Amino acid sequence: MSKFLIRRIIFGILTLFLVSIVVFAATQALPGNAARAILGRSATPERVAALTAQLHLNQSVASQYGHWLGGVLSGNLGISAATQQSVAHLIAGRLANSAFLVLVAAIVALPLSIGLGVWMAVKRDRPADHVLSMTTLVLAALPEFVIGIVLVVLLATNVAHVFPAVSLVPPGEHAWDEPSVVVLPAATLVIAVTPYISRIMRASMVEVLESDYVTMARLKGLSNRVVIWRHAVPNAIVPAIQVSALQLAYMAGGVVVIEFVFSYPGMGAQLVDSVANRDVPVVQALTIIIAAVYVILNLLADLATILVTPRLRTAGR
Amino acid sequence: MSEDSFREQLEQPLTRRQVLHGALVGGATISAGGLLSACGGSISPAVLVPPPIEPIKAGGSVRIGATGGGSKDVIDAHLPAVDPDIMRNWNLYESLATRPANFGPLQMLLAESIEPEKGSAKTWTVKLKPGLEFHNGKSVTADDVIFSINRIIDPKNPKVGATSIGYIDTAKMKKLDNLTIRIPLKFPNATFPDDIGQYFNAIVPVGYDPNKPVGTGAFMYESFTPGQQSVFKRFPNYWEHPKPYVDQLTIIDFTDDTARVNALLGGEVDAIDNLPTGVIAELQGNKALRVLVSETGEWQPFTMRVDKSPFNDVRVRQAFRLMVNRPQMIEQVLLRQGRLANDMYSPYDPAYAASLPQRHQDLEQAKSLLKAAGHEGLAVELVTGPIFQGVQAAAQVFAQQASAAGVKVAIRQVDTTTFYGPNYLGWTFAQDFWATRQYLPQVAQGSLPSSPFNETHWADPTFIKLIQQARAQLDESKRNEILLHAQTIEYERGGYIIPYFSDQVDAYSTKLTGFEPAKSGFPLGNYWFKNVGYKA
Amino acid sequence: MSATTATAEPFAPAPEPVRRGRAATLARATLGQSRAKVGLVIFVLILVIVIFGPLFAPHSPTEFVAAPNSGSSSHALFGADSLGRDVWSRFLYGGRSILGLALAATIIGVGLGLVIGLSAAYLGGLVDEVLMRIADVFMAFPQIVLALLLVSAFGPKLWLIVLTVGISHAPRVARVIRGAAQQLVERDFVKAAEAVGEPRRRVIFGELLPNVTSPLMVETGLRLTYSIGLIAAISFLGLGIQPPHADWGLMINENRLSLIVQPWGVMLPVIAIALLTISTGLMTDSYARVVIGIDRGE
Repeated sequence: MSKFLIRRIIFGILTLFLVSIVVFAATQALPGNAARAILGRSATPERVAALTAQLHLNQSVASQYGHWLGGVLSGNLGISAATQQSVAHLIAGRLANSAFLVLVAAIVALPLSIGLGVWMAVKRDRPADHVLSMTTLVLAALPEFVIGIVLVVLLATNVAHVFPAVSLVPPGEHAWDEPSVVVLPAATLVIAVTPYISRIMRASMVEVLESDYVTMARLKGLSNRVVIWRHAVPNAIVPAIQVSALQLAYMAGGVVVIEFVFSYPGMGAQLVDSVANRDVPVVQALTIIIAAVYVILNLLADLATILVTPRLRTAGR
Repeated sequence: MSEDSFREQLEQPLTRRQVLHGALVGGATISAGGLLSACGGSISPAVLVPPPIEPIKAGGSVRIGATGGGSKDVIDAHLPAVDPDIMRNWNLYESLATRPANFGPLQMLLAESIEPEKGSAKTWTVKLKPGLEFHNGKSVTADDVIFSINRIIDPKNPKVGATSIGYIDTAKMKKLDNLTIRIPLKFPNATFPDDIGQYFNAIVPVGYDPNKPVGTGAFMYESFTPGQQSVFKRFPNYWEHPKPYVDQLTIIDFTDDTARVNALLGGEVDAIDNLPTGVIAELQGNKALRVLVSETGEWQPFTMRVDKSPFNDVRVRQAFRLMVNRPQMIEQVLLRQGRLANDMYSPYDPAYAASLPQRHQDLEQAKSLLKAAGHEGLAVELVTGPIFQGVQAAAQVFAQQASAAGVKVAIRQVDTTTFYGPNYLGWTFAQDFWATRQYLPQVAQGSLPSSPFNETHWADPTFIKLIQQARAQLDESKRNEILLHAQTIEYERGGYIIPYFSDQVDAYSTKLTGFEPAKSGFPLGNYWFKNVGYKA
Repeated sequence: MSATTATAEPFAPAPEPVRRGRAATLARATLGQSRAKVGLVIFVLILVIVIFGPLFAPHSPTEFVAAPNSGSSSHALFGADSLGRDVWSRFLYGGRSILGLALAATIIGVGLGLVIGLSAAYLGGLVDEVLMRIADVFMAFPQIVLALLLVSAFGPKLWLIVLTVGISHAPRVARVIRGAAQQLVERDFVKAAEAVGEPRRRVIFGELLPNVTSPLMVETGLRLTYSIGLIAAISFLGLGIQPPHADWGLMINENRLSLIVQPWGVMLPVIAIALLTISTGLMTDSYARVVIGIDRGE
């Protein structure tokens, strides 16, 4: 078990290292640099030259990367090219906002989708199952930005004014100081991820409910509730855990579009901004963080799988 | 349309009736395009009626939604780049003089007067208003003006304005007394007051530190978070008493147009700039909001490099100008929020060559010019990007119109940093955008070999000679005569296609009052929130 | 739409060696379900629109027929878009590119994933380890970030979008196929083939491949769905197909500002994309149900 953990952690770090090289290479291929991005329309050759020197953008690619890696290893994410602030300072607040958004969405979406999945499986092939099954299929088919726009029209601007249409968070404050701004973006995320997890849960639950094991439990005269929640769900939940981890990781990376629609001050919006600004240190930091979230969630999902599967718990891997 | 009526419309505010019937450019011209009849005229442009004058009360807090912005936002007086930067600039700082909202004669701000010395445009004297104060209580003096000019032109770190006033002979600037400065130029220039008055040439105190921004504007700095928002409070000692009216001003960045509009609809902000044309109709139906339309001299040209094939052949440039159906472009791109242009800029300059005949689409003529130039079946690439509202749409309309003349225009859409990347000012065929300017200052920016933004690589020897003569000429009518010649050359051989002057459209909550239309092209009435307050 | 994730559908099919005619039986059983029939009908309908739509378009997709954002008229059935072009004509033209790109990306992604997954499972050991770790690196990369970077760097080239989407699918497909194939590797029929001395390539593609068709089908359907979503999202961010080309993803982006004034410019492509996704979903759903041998008697 501990051997498995150590191995996974080493591979995780290796993964992040490779990701950082790929991202760095990709950013080097972007046309223009931070100096031009800052100057925009007033990018006369004189001003570009002055600013390029000022931002140390005229160093070699390898030395820029080496400099960056050295910094990261000593816990320093570097200086943002566009703002000349420390990257850590620049993204900390945004990271917290995104984390809060994903957390809220996850707290709602996970129990909801597991519950829905179980319910659909129990009511299999009855009208409730068909209706929910179709509904989730339709929702899964709608692009997130469409869900977001529809929610805004319904709840924020044209039909009713219940929640803020855009998520303005005053600087220095966090999203949780003003919880109403999280409602619509979180709802969009929930609607985006719930269909998938609940469908997976339904499928594996149906399989388990068909198994001899559950039939045995029923024959023993256990109540329906006990059979479902004590015996069937723990056996059916493994695939849902795996998928949930992926969905959470997806939320971390895929909030880009949602934050864009709601002007939510999170890292997705920051990422788009930084790519446009050719702000390499910030792009690097954010991609690594998103990748790290993926690696960690995957690891946690595997651990959880081992814990709920007695067979694997003893066998190790 | 006759030249006279066009001229008239440029100079006089339109009545409501004219607008509804004439669609800003003369109904006959548009109908000739055959378009209006096809559409059934189901939309009408937002009308240029000035907002009502209502009593205003002091106090309150106003939140403005600004277009774009991001982590590269700045608050430095001399480095404004994107819309929120410029908005901050107009409220925090001030220059010596500026064009008023109606783009009439120069209005003095910090200066009391800006006069040429001894009848020559080579040396100027600037006299400051007495008793002016910076936000930190320091009074405004000649030293601050000299410091600011040196900071802008600094060859080691040139600021945005360096290109507009780089001709000042900084070494010979002289403080005559505490409020008077003599400013000698490297060459005579009759439009010096216009150049020094640009918003990015604001006056800051000696020892200015952009991290603790201090200016003379109506609002004082309180906080600034790039890419998010900045907060300002009322400057109680502002010289234009009793302005400003509101106690607090918050400027909020919006990267996404939809989010900005939604914020206004949802009441998260009180006013927004650059209303996307697609939602004008929707907002006009909203009782709680008012749409502010300003007729401007803003132009978004297609830029053809006159020194590169195929545009180095003047016949190709002429053909391209003749391929454009301008009324249709105004209709499809601007939803009629614009006025016909004639490949020339600076419509509010008294020197504007309104007498030159209006150019219309002429596909046959265009085809025969292209044939004569040996460019039948020409294919070109048009580089565009989200650099300004409507330019990408204009590129699409142009491509469609050009196809009727047998020219294939491939659109290449790039992001702004790529657009302003290493190929910037070098694209063979691209687009750009310019604010309202008088003719000579505009020429200095874009139409001389020495201009910083000469995107068409325009370097006509006769034209250059005429401009030099005009700059030295202080007599306005004589100068305008010279400029008519210069404009005729650009009209016949230049590298710009200028289909229209676009309107500026913004929107605000009816709780507020004091916004007035500005021909400058700067949104929300020159961004002058000092004029704005809550209705009494 | 959660276009980026999706590992295996959890139900690894019962690994039994392929028998002649099993595929046909499966297909028949799948289509025996009403949901599969509905899915197939919708899919064919959309396909017909995509392929033959342009023949019935009343206007060219780029000509201006009315005032921008104007509503329905005798001239323009679903009104005009933000530039005054006919929404209906643009809709009829706009399916080819998105569907073509999605198909290409799916074929690349599933093909690549299949080869990697089978090789990893069959060769095992170090090869397996290396291939799966590389797959991990790619999966750790947020898909949309990869698209954002590559497209910003090299411009919105169609092959680049296809490749980006395809490559981002590959590791996910590889994982599923590897999982399914691993259970087969130790089976008698594989051992027998090895004993006869069949070359490795033949074992992989001749023996293993036919036995993973079930998860492969499910994956292909899923990946197609996600490709459509992802390509639409890329177009939405302005990085995909370039104007003035008519494309469903681009249409949504171009017209979303005027959604309230003129909903059709957004709604038609959204409905089409949603129907396409639902139909592939219904079909793969039914197929999966048949494969795991339950829900059959619907």
